[in-house]
Amino acid sequence: MYDIINDLSTMDKLQILADAAKYDVACTSSGVDRKGKEGFLGNSCAAGICHSFAADGRCISLLKILMSNHCIHDCKYCLNRRSNDVQRATFTPDEICNLVIEFYKRNYIEGLFLSSGVLNSPEYTMELICRTLSLLRNKYRFNGYIHVKAIPGAPEELLAQAGLLADRISLNLELPNSESLKKLAPGKNFNNIVKPMAQISGTIAAHRVAIGKTPQMERAVINNRLENNIFSQMRLETSGDHKLIVPERALDRDLRRPFAPAGMSTQMIVGATQDSDLELITVSEQLYKNFDLKRVFFSAYVPLNEDAALPAKGSAVPLLREHRLYQADWLLRYYGFSASELLSPERPNFNEAIDPKCDWAVRHLDVFPVEVNTAPADVLIRVPGIGPKSLERIFRARRYGGLTFDALKKMGVVLKRARYFITCGGRMMDRIPIDERFIVNRLTDVDRREVYNFSDRTTYRQMSIFDYGLEAAGR
Amino acid sequence: MTVFVCEDSLESMLTCIYDAWYSRLGHDNVRLQVAPVEQFNMFDRYVHVETDIKKAMAVADAVNVKISPAFYSEVVFALGAYESDALDTVYRVLVLGFRLGAGVLDAYGFNAVARFKAIRIRFGREVSSFIEFARFNRLGDVFVSHIEPKSRVLLPVCEHFSDRMPSEYWIIIDDVHREAAVHPINSRYYIRKLSDEEFERLRTTEDYEDSFTAMWRAYFEHIAIEERNNPACQLNHFAKWKRKHVTEFI
Repeated sequence: MYDIINDLSTMDKLQILADAAKYDVACTSSGVDRKGKEGFLGNSCAAGICHSFAADGRCISLLKILMSNHCIHDCKYCLNRRSNDVQRATFTPDEICNLVIEFYKRNYIEGLFLSSGVLNSPEYTMELICRTLSLLRNKYRFNGYIHVKAIPGAPEELLAQAGLLADRISLNLELPNSESLKKLAPGKNFNNIVKPMAQISGTIAAHRVAIGKTPQMERAVINNRLENNIFSQMRLETSGDHKLIVPERALDRDLRRPFAPAGMSTQMIVGATQDSDLELITVSEQLYKNFDLKRVFFSAYVPLNEDAALPAKGSAVPLLREHRLYQADWLLRYYGFSASELLSPERPNFNEAIDPKCDWAVRHLDVFPVEVNTAPADVLIRVPGIGPKSLERIFRARRYGGLTFDALKKMGVVLKRARYFITCGGRMMDRIPIDERFIVNRLTDVDRREVYNFSDRTTYRQMSIFDYGLEAAGR
Repeated sequence: MTVFVCEDSLESMLTCIYDAWYSRLGHDNVRLQVAPVEQFNMFDRYVHVETDIKKAMAVADAVNVKISPAFYSEVVFALGAYESDALDTVYRVLVLGFRLGAGVLDAYGFNAVARFKAIRIRFGREVSSFIEFARFNRLGDVFVSHIEPKSRVLLPVCEHFSDRMPSEYWIIIDDVHREAAVHPINSRYYIRKLSDEEFERLRTTEDYEDSFTAMWRAYFEHIAIEERNNPACQLNHFAKWKRKHVTEFI
């Protein structure tokens, strides 16, 4: 049995446990609007607020730390696995609360993202997490955003308690199928992840119904305009056997809160196994449809451990693939696409040179060009270069007369992509042959720089006179 | 062309709109500008506008009643923007608004509306970036923050923080426009102009650091993944001019 030993300073622990937590991707503070109240600290904004951007360009919105990086599991991809010789530390609940409150008051963070390695047992770890959240909410009177990670295998009562104290609860799927999971995470069990996921989504739905909302989570407004989006086909089960055992609320004043109002999310690793993009994106779609997940995150695998089953240490991080998957994820949630439209078993991976939306458009040239002044929303949204915001603007502006290419440009339509697919008042912008090869060439050229930025990670650069000067001065 | 020149304050700008409108020179023959005028033109006539609260209120009331309150708030936000043509654009949009109603803000076909929206959207982004990047230092029980925005974002920024930290004593100082917002515990905040002496004294608040400042810097270093290092992306999201008072970059 481990016990919490306090021979490290808070600063040391923060460094160790931030290092251990950084490979978790979700750092969003979005999904719930909550006003501040007197006597409490904090509020929450549905759009989310990023407070800083780290050297890798990723946003820092929440204080993302692990409760402990001790772990009983030996997942091959993980830095904190049992067999790795890394410095271990465990925060005490009060240390975490203090950090959150002081950072929050200085406007460094928007809230807490608390995850943990499995210390002793899932029950023990989850209880420690719940105790921390309860202290933070009730003793420290924190009203800001909390994202908590559910530990697979933790008892239902504790999951329910965590859901009531946090705003978002997440469970990491890590890999899209049970074979991959068995291969890389022998201690974990696919059912142990999917079952609590179903229970949590059922509980969220039941709690939403109880306060007079729809059982399904709110989605981007644009989906109201799109008839066949993935959420409209959703059937969410709210029947009794899919719910967590929630503590009697009347008895426990501290738990009188909505259950995970910002919903549930998950994360999958990209590039650690041979799983195709098709598999990842289909699983994401299923998760959105069946469990009403708010987000699915993708994490490009950074090779940290030596293992025969994994990419070698030092091999390239699949950043471009991760980027393409996120683009596809947005197409599902904001553009009314479904996974089967984007990829097929014959083409199981995304085209690296061109983004998924352009890729779809050039394969469906029979639909284009569309007339901006008359086209319906679900056709217009599929035009590369037109997004939910510009679509909304086009729809509002159409009431005031015909649109021109000039007006479209001012609305934020990206004409360097859209010009091949639209007409304004019956005319295309230039004389453009509707020919797949021609358009692909032009679009690849538009994306060239982006692709280069993602794929070229060499550090060679032109030597400058200052390099020489500094070195000479150093001698 | 007659150019109406006013001072850089909301009342003065609204007075300017009033004067230009009722000069009866015709909307196409007037231009509105905020002092100082950097380049005078030989063929234009310049008229200095004296701030008059009554005239300003008349404009505000007319927009609120005849167009809509939402339209008025859009106009006020746009007038806070630093763009030199913001005032003139607002005038053009008001001309359209009085003629066609509040919905005119959706009609991108008008150049004035397109420009107005561009200014308004940029202003909104500037507000959100200072909500994100304002950093407070603790001095005793008071939290003090310095910001250096291009536009007058202090009011919307304070609205956010008064909801976020209602039971804290905090001050936000706009170093560019020399204004400070003071929020006492559990009550409304107020904004006041700073005298030179006050401004100099408040400048020193950033010299105070504590253990949490150091911890934040350490956290900021450690949360980045080395293998994914991407300074261009970081710069894209967090421009250098916004980093002036930000703890992790000092």
